[in-house]
Amino acid sequence: MSDLTLGALYGAVTLVVMFSGMPIAFALGVVATGFMYFFMPASSLDTITQNVYEEMASITLLSIPLFILKGAAIGKSPAGKDLYSAIHTWMHKVPGGLGIANVFACALFAAMAGSSPATCSAIGSAGIPEMRKRGYSPGFAAGIIAAGGTLGILLPPSITMILYAVAAEQSLGRLFLAGIGPGVLLVVLFAGYAVYRARKEYRMALDIYQKGGEKSAYLEDEHFTLSEKVEMLPRVLPFIILLIGVMVALYGGFATPSETAGLGALLALALLAVIYGVWKPKDLSPILGSSIKESTMLLLIIGMSLLYSYVMSYLHISQSAAAWVVGLHLSKWVLLAVILLMVIVFGFFLPPVSIILMTAPIILPPLREAGFDLIWFGIVMTVVMEMGLIHPPVGLNIFVIKNIAPDIPLKDVIWGVFPFLLLMVVAVLLLCVFPSIATGLPDMIMGAK
Amino acid sequence: MDKLNRFLMMLSMVALVLTSLVLTYSVVSRYFFHAPTDWQDEASVFMLVGVTFFCTAYVQYHRGHIGIEALAGLLPRRVNAVRLFFVDLVSMLFCAFFTWKSWLLFHEAWVDGQTTSSTFAPPLWIPYSMMAAGMTLLTLQILLQTLARLTNKPEHAA
Amino acid sequence: QTALKISHQFPGGTLTEGDFRDRLTRMFAAEVEKRSKGALKFSIYPGSSLMKTNAQFSAMRKGALDLSLVPLSYAGGEVPEVNIGLMPGLVTSYDQAYGWKNAEVGKELARILYDKGIVMLSWIWQGGGMASRGKPVVDPDDAKGMKIRGGSREMDLMLKAAGAAVVTLPSNEIYAAMQTGAMEAALTSSTSLISFRLEEVSKALTTARAGSYWFMLEPLMMSRSVFDRLPKDQQQLLLTVGAELEAFALKSSKEDDQQVANVYQKTGSKVVDMNPAALKKWQDIAKTTAWKDYSEKSPSCANLLKLAEKTL
Ligand code: NA
Ligand code: NA
Repeated sequence: MSDLTLGALYGAVTLVVMFSGMPIAFALGVVATGFMYFFMPASSLDTITQNVYEEMASITLLSIPLFILKGAAIGKSPAGKDLYSAIHTWMHKVPGGLGIANVFACALFAAMAGSSPATCSAIGSAGIPEMRKRGYSPGFAAGIIAAGGTLGILLPPSITMILYAVAAEQSLGRLFLAGIGPGVLLVVLFAGYAVYRARKEYRMALDIYQKGGEKSAYLEDEHFTLSEKVEMLPRVLPFIILLIGVMVALYGGFATPSETAGLGALLALALLAVIYGVWKPKDLSPILGSSIKESTMLLLIIGMSLLYSYVMSYLHISQSAAAWVVGLHLSKWVLLAVILLMVIVFGFFLPPVSIILMTAPIILPPLREAGFDLIWFGIVMTVVMEMGLIHPPVGLNIFVIKNIAPDIPLKDVIWGVFPFLLLMVVAVLLLCVFPSIATGLPDMIMGAK
Repeated sequence: MDKLNRFLMMLSMVALVLTSLVLTYSVVSRYFFHAPTDWQDEASVFMLVGVTFFCTAYVQYHRGHIGIEALAGLLPRRVNAVRLFFVDLVSMLFCAFFTWKSWLLFHEAWVDGQTTSSTFAPPLWIPYSMMAAGMTLLTLQILLQTLARLTNKPEHAA
Repeated sequence: QTALKISHQFPGGTLTEGDFRDRLTRMFAAEVEKRSKGALKFSIYPGSSLMKTNAQFSAMRKGALDLSLVPLSYAGGEVPEVNIGLMPGLVTSYDQAYGWKNAEVGKELARILYDKGIVMLSWIWQGGGMASRGKPVVDPDDAKGMKIRGGSREMDLMLKAAGAAVVTLPSNEIYAAMQTGAMEAALTSSTSLISFRLEEVSKALTTARAGSYWFMLEPLMMSRSVFDRLPKDQQQLLLTVGAELEAFALKSSKEDDQQVANVYQKTGSKVVDMNPAALKKWQDIAKTTAWKDYSEKSPSCANLLKLAEKTL
């Protein structure tokens, strides 16, 4: 059997086992050990546990639970709602301000949490009801939150970037910095669209009212006094402290990325204790428990994926697949387009973590060969994976929205998300034309590579 | 099983907070006392490896290991039941195999007195034993769930 | 026909270009394939693309990996004796280093490794130095109070005793840490000093051109269980080609020691060499710290150290 035939068989078996509904972690392990048994020397089976351990015993990977803890500390406490209300109080006068407030709140939260669904549920549980109360159409409200939530993996810290940094052997600090520019770009695009859409819906509501129809909540005036506005400020302060504290620690040369993860988690817990009085074991255990559940699930997938890619490499599948791609002699940009398309297709079924782990050994060599900056590509790939989080059939964020607002029909959610998908495509194109949107900031702060 | 899972969960919660403390301490110690620590990374790795494996059975108990459930809605009920049974059975066999190999790895590290090759050089049987113990629990958990499917009992009664 | 796999952690290149350690494995493969008339075939897995760096040694012992080119001391947790492959001040020149193979110390080390399931094919040594973002570190006094990554237990022990603040962090974070100042100096091989691109964030370099306390044994090794299965003539062929390539390794390491100096000079760094007086001081510190720590591990370690000292 040729390497590529074997590769096709490997892919096909993976597909079958994955679609059987077997948990991803076990599916990766089962496929890998199965192929080890049939196609590799018996001694390979003796090394599987050590291989998994070596993969997991990396302090970079093990910062993942700590980043998750930091996000959960904020997301599962009143802090998330406060952040949202404060921004809303200040932004409500701007047309479409409520939409902008939601995008901003998502971005700020994303800058503290490492995953997208976390961001989505933290801001969405307050944001969606509020927007609907103010007359926003349900689809639009859901779309903002679903899309805003994806910023969780683009703005640092980001769990998928941690995995990418390890796979592509790039500096995590640099990759984190590179995510900020595109993150801001997406915030601007999302906010701009929010204004446009809110104005359109406002005009429609006005039209209906003037023709004697019912008065939409859009047309109600909302007012906050200055003292109300000032009162909200201290509630945002903890976030600013947390955000700046962690950034200074990381980029000021005080701490390594993993130390930053520990520092950030501890700081978040400390802020909760001081400001919200959340410190008793009883109050903390839901936060810690949910963090542990999520990170256990992720780390098991990560550990087993090592077996999966080890077999792929041993049987020369990744190498020959990569060589095959290189041998197609695609032009630089066609190659990029093909690879991104592949990432999108994977995004139909798999969460970003698995996409990176399973595709990195195949896609990184051709990209390196074609002369792409792998920091830049990491960012582009992240934006594309963000799209996977909100497009059907298994956009994780869509599930989160269905949990927060079960009464919004799935069709509305999908249509509400659609414009944001287009905006992400725009962002990818802009990144290709102006790569410095991503690489500018790290080059400025850490020196050109 | 349930009680043991919950106890390990509590232990893991403590370990997670402790890890944040350790990593923060290493920054503080380096910058304020000019005394860099060389054990923080490995201590954290060991604790988090422990957290992961000790809680994986708990996560399985709540069916928290995600999979692709796209087919669930398309298949008839009977076929689905058979599919789920096989998924559990194969998962269980894999985990049992992994558990067995973990204990062998632990045994080897224990007998040879293996350590990590760092400056701190802690013994490797510590994380290996946590991995082996955690995988043993996971295997038992899936076994219970498989048996529950076989006897058609509601899962959480098992 | 037998197919063999060679794994290593270094960047992949071609037969004639790239990291010399990758090139060496390719030259080895090509030469053995040629002389065995294709009876032995190799595939090379660079950049840890087959397995994690630290898993290679153990996989070879179990027969799950055929060959690997890897720093011997990485396996120190598994076989304590191999820590002698990166013992500060124990080897101070290439002449001394390449004398090991045929000296008592080399024979004893090879015997121990064979016992543990490993066959030594090619004895490769690399010199190393220190890049620093401040003043060059030559004398032990220069290291006082500096945040330095020693990279191994033994180097760390010596640096600590010299008054340095030893930092540990994964190698993919070295550049960033040097850049931000979380770390002020890094001790590693000349080849790694180049591949980590530390010259961009450094102001000084101490080279290994005139000797160093940092010499590392980084052999090409083979799994004994795989080796023993081969016919005698093929075994001999592997050993012969391995030995022949040692000259290439020596030449390349020396070139890298010079190359790293050129690279750092180009970015305006201060490039200095080690001097015998300072080297002696480092060695004295190492004797009471790293060497002592090592020989206390086991009688076998103590014996190996004693044999190694004879080559000084
Ligand atoms: Na984030
Ligand atoms: Na320089």
